[in-house]
Amino acid sequence: MGDDYPTLFRSEQMSLMQFLIPTEVAHDTVAELGELGNVQFKDLNPAVNPFQRSFVGEIRRTEEMARRVRFFESQIQKDKDVVPIRPLYDSAPLVTVGPSAAHNIDGLDVTLAGHETRLGQMNDSYKTLSERTRELVEARHVLRETAVFFEKAETQQTDIRTSFDDSSAPLLQHDDREQQYLSSVQFDLEFVAGTIDRTRISTFERVLWRVLRGNLYMNHTDITEPFVDPATGTETRKNVFIIFAHGDALLAKIRKVAESMGATLYPIDANADKRSDSLREVTARLEDLETVLYNTGLNRRSELLRIGENLARWQDVVRKEKAIYETMNLFNYDVRRKTLVAEGWVPTRDFAMIHMALRHATEESGTSVVPILQELHTSKTPPTFTRTNKFSEGFQTIMDAYGIATYQEVNPGLFAIVTFPFLFAVMFGDIGHGLIIFFAALYMIIQEKKWARQELNEIVGQFFYGRYIILLMGMFSVFTGLMYNDIFSKSLHIWHSGWDFPEPASNGVSYAVSNGHMYPFGVDPAWHGADNGLVFTNSYKMKMSIVLGVIHMTFALCLQLPNHIKFKRPLDIYANFIPQMIFLQSIFGYLVVCILYKWSIDWSTRDTQPPSLLNMLIAMILSPGNVDATAQLYRGQGFIQVVLLLLAVVCVPWMLCMKPYFQWKEMQMIQGQGYVGLGHRNGGPRESTDEVLENEEEGNGRAIVEEMEEEHEQHDFSEVVIHQIIHTIEFCLGCISHTASYLRLWALSLAHAQLSEVLWSMTIEKFLGLSGIFGTIALVMVVVFWFSATVFILCLMEGLSAFLHALRLHWVEANSKHYQGEGYLFMPLSFAKLDEKE
Amino acid sequence: MASVIPVILILAIVLGLMACGYLFVPKGLHQTTIRTAIMLTLASCYLMWMVTYMAQLHPLISES
Repeated sequence: MGDDYPTLFRSEQMSLMQFLIPTEVAHDTVAELGELGNVQFKDLNPAVNPFQRSFVGEIRRTEEMARRVRFFESQIQKDKDVVPIRPLYDSAPLVTVGPSAAHNIDGLDVTLAGHETRLGQMNDSYKTLSERTRELVEARHVLRETAVFFEKAETQQTDIRTSFDDSSAPLLQHDDREQQYLSSVQFDLEFVAGTIDRTRISTFERVLWRVLRGNLYMNHTDITEPFVDPATGTETRKNVFIIFAHGDALLAKIRKVAESMGATLYPIDANADKRSDSLREVTARLEDLETVLYNTGLNRRSELLRIGENLARWQDVVRKEKAIYETMNLFNYDVRRKTLVAEGWVPTRDFAMIHMALRHATEESGTSVVPILQELHTSKTPPTFTRTNKFSEGFQTIMDAYGIATYQEVNPGLFAIVTFPFLFAVMFGDIGHGLIIFFAALYMIIQEKKWARQELNEIVGQFFYGRYIILLMGMFSVFTGLMYNDIFSKSLHIWHSGWDFPEPASNGVSYAVSNGHMYPFGVDPAWHGADNGLVFTNSYKMKMSIVLGVIHMTFALCLQLPNHIKFKRPLDIYANFIPQMIFLQSIFGYLVVCILYKWSIDWSTRDTQPPSLLNMLIAMILSPGNVDATAQLYRGQGFIQVVLLLLAVVCVPWMLCMKPYFQWKEMQMIQGQGYVGLGHRNGGPRESTDEVLENEEEGNGRAIVEEMEEEHEQHDFSEVVIHQIIHTIEFCLGCISHTASYLRLWALSLAHAQLSEVLWSMTIEKFLGLSGIFGTIALVMVVVFWFSATVFILCLMEGLSAFLHALRLHWVEANSKHYQGEGYLFMPLSFAKLDEKE
Repeated sequence: MASVIPVILILAIVLGLMACGYLFVPKGLHQTTIRTAIMLTLASCYLMWMVTYMAQLHPLISES
């Protein structure tokens, strides 16, 4: 197409460009092209190990910076109070191109390293201080509890002492003994004190009892507050214990057992004054530590805040630099010309834009050598690039999910813009529900700019991505709702109905009389409450599904034509397209015509009974030519049906044999000319080989590796035949099964209508008659329930279901008629897309 | 009396609108997209309307 504008009809024309970039400008050029997002670079060093490529050093440095940035991010996230990260569009820019670029990157490296060391130090000291705090707190507990023990022990001693008073002993001797006794209490019974996990205390006791054969006195109490481990956040509960025993050997044993059970021992003095001194000292040290901890926390927080100011910008810069160097690793270094050689796919239309970008990069960097751009000729298949905008992006994505279109074949995404919402709406037809989803989509579109900046939840993000699809779905649903005359399961009475209901007969059944009027737009509302309403609607919807299905498939089949014409395959038109079309139309097109014809006759004026179309079709195939005169649709039906059936039957061998035969003849001709073994490709490969030879003569030292890697289609004749057999069978059987598959349009719309009606009749209808204040409140509550059920069940669930089925119809029934889908996506180096990938 | 004539009439109108859509969409970046969308919308909406209309032209059953 000599077109000046890109269209969605086909993917863009791509050309392979060769860039000759002087090494000084390389970084800035790649940065500029990355901003543009229009070039997909080829890997020119596929055999080179990633660790041996030229820019490994730079990549390592950027990886180091990326690791530091990730570390900061995790630290910020772990912090209990939220540290605000300034968003990217608000951050101060960091210049990464031009003469000052290297200096800026070095500065960034130093800054990041500095932040990391400082943060690391603060984290370490925080941890150490916390540990020490914990120990001191434990020591304080131990001191307190042991103080209690000793007091108790002393009171007990005084008790024992008083019991001695009863005996007849002289006073002075008594006092001596008292002194002796007290001192013996203090010096003979030595002890071990410490803390242990609450879970282990009973085991500890038992083990000690057994080891020391009961020669100990142990006491323990709980520490009420649990200890929180700063690293993991787990809580442990500990007990304070004190064990009295005498003798060094026993004490040593106790100490060993305690250590093996994971207890922590603390040196406690027997003297009460010394204990209170220790307590005061511990308390003082604790206070100091708390202050230091608090200050460290403050410092850390201020450091994190400073990091948060720039974090987004750093992430962006690091990501871009890494992408730039990875791309530069794909380039080839040409020793003769001392430049980097790059090859990439570029949309032909954007050639001028790329040229300007290269020139801009050169200006930015301050050198005067402009990179050279050359077009290469190749027979490799270019990637498929479809230029979409925010509207068509969604539609293109859902069609691409089935398979990327072959380079420059007709793009089904263009037609899906209308056919997809339309088929969805046929399954979803309800004015009310259509309006609900229309307004939901409208809201998302109005908030587009704001939402695009935010990080959306995964599910909400999916809905946001498809907002234009949902908008169109809503619009078409309103239309089909008007057609089905269904708004929240009620019908609208906009025009005069075509039926009059007389007074009911004795058995309560009344038959409507047609009054000659035609309800002009949609299903007559009189059908809405009728007993046999479903019979009519089912027949109507089923026939409509078949009509729409056959027309959709015919349309998809016709899309083959532009492909055959563009890729110069006239054989395919005669061998594939025409027989397929005839086959489809002679059976199913005939069915559609019969449906429409049967509808257009006034059967009350005919003497024949209206025939069942399904039986008619089956009879046409099973017993052709025999048409019962009383059940015929039109005169001469038998003869015409035989002709159509014969046409369809002729198409099968036509499809089967014609293409293989002609391809075999071609192969014979080529073999006859002595060109055996060369890869045979349709469409004149000879011109490109001539050019390649020419260029070789001129001495262009280009890496001409094209032919070696080209796909050699070995035209094994058996393969061709098998391929054609599969294709034929698939098409013929597919015709029948796909036509029946379109009946899902009827099935889902029936389900939707019934669900909607059940919801109404089970909820609101029951509450409409109630009166009084109680009735009104109940009605309001039921309305709320009805509305939320409508949104969640009918709109969301049914909507997703209809979405899926409409998509399936596009993917299987329509695409199988024309789509090859063997392309690969165009993935340019694009900094904008890097964000999305993250 | 309900007849087939409105079907043919509306068909003519829709074909005319489709032709207008084809001819009068301004050349530009989105010409193909807008053209295709307009023509497909008109065609599919007409189809649905036509089927609905014709299904009710000469009904074989009457309501009860």
